[in-house]
Amino acid sequence: MHELGLARSIAGIAEENAKGRRLKEVRVAIGPQACVERGALTFCWDLVTESTAISGVSLGFIDADNDTFVVREIEFMEEA
Amino acid sequence: MCGVCGCADPANEVSMTDSQTGVKVLLRDDHAHDHGHDHDHAHSHDDHHHGHDEPHVHGPGGEIISLETAILGKNNEIATRNRGWFEGRGVIALNIVSSPGSGKTTLLEETIKRMKDKADIAVIEGDQMTSNDADRIRDAGARAVQINTGAGCHLEADMIAFAVQSLDPQTGSILMIENVGNLVCPAMFDLGEKMKIAVISTTEGEDKPTKYPHMFRAVEWVVINKMDLAPHVDFDEEACRQNILEVNPGVKIFCLSARTGDGMDAWCSSLAELKA
Repeated sequence: MHELGLARSIAGIAEENAKGRRLKEVRVAIGPQACVERGALTFCWDLVTESTAISGVSLGFIDADNDTFVVREIEFMEEA
Repeated sequence: MCGVCGCADPANEVSMTDSQTGVKVLLRDDHAHDHGHDHDHAHSHDDHHHGHDEPHVHGPGGEIISLETAILGKNNEIATRNRGWFEGRGVIALNIVSSPGSGKTTLLEETIKRMKDKADIAVIEGDQMTSNDADRIRDAGARAVQINTGAGCHLEADMIAFAVQSLDPQTGSILMIENVGNLVCPAMFDLGEKMKIAVISTTEGEDKPTKYPHMFRAVEWVVINKMDLAPHVDFDEEACRQNILEVNPGVKIFCLSARTGDGMDAWCSSLAELKA
């Protein structure tokens, strides 16, 4: 289903912006009309990130308006 | 199989087949998806530099960067380019959406036959597998390319950009894009079309529009097909119209039967009046 493609896009955006640094969480803002199912997206997120550079990075959700569907922020691991 | 994400299922391939020549081209192979497998970690992680432009704050875990990056951004950029190309060339691109089996292909076949002398119609067919629909369109007398989305449940803008290079629709022509039969995902993906048109059929019940409101909100026209079957399946046309207008008050509704031809004249003359 399309959540798989969306998860890949989110992973691509996260990796591109992480520039190699270790991520803790990627937070996605989703509006009620975005047509995106959170459970399906979480399931696909785990599939597409498994064994990649961002494996284990969690996917968080932020409630938003209308058809908003953006990667709102990424959080890095605390660095020594 | 790709060791990174296991994406070697041949069903993940997206291909395009020209119905005239039978030539099949691979549009996306297993590794063409967005993250591109660029997992290079040869560089050092030591320097926690703040030289970049992104606004950032420090949270309890670590640094947070705010992005606001549209997840469908790539698709939307290509769709905008497609739209500009269509407008520049004067091609009327229509994105036809429905559930499987509503009669999209039959509607297109009949439309092509009836408008033979009035309009130049070219068709992009989207299905997961087979080029059956493109063959039917070709037999009806129009040029067609078939896109097979493999596992994909909808067409995306880059597939249209590629198909258009091969079809080369002429100024003043109508480009019918028959999307993959699915009332959910195609609503999200702009292809660069002038408008989306939903096709529903009397056998699907009157409440399709209220069950799939995202799609019916995204369209400008709705075709209710298989009106010849209405009495046999207790289809309530008035209730269906009300359900459509409830989710999208501005929509234009056509009731027809592509099989018997009833109502096809109104549909064809509205198509003929469209301006690029």
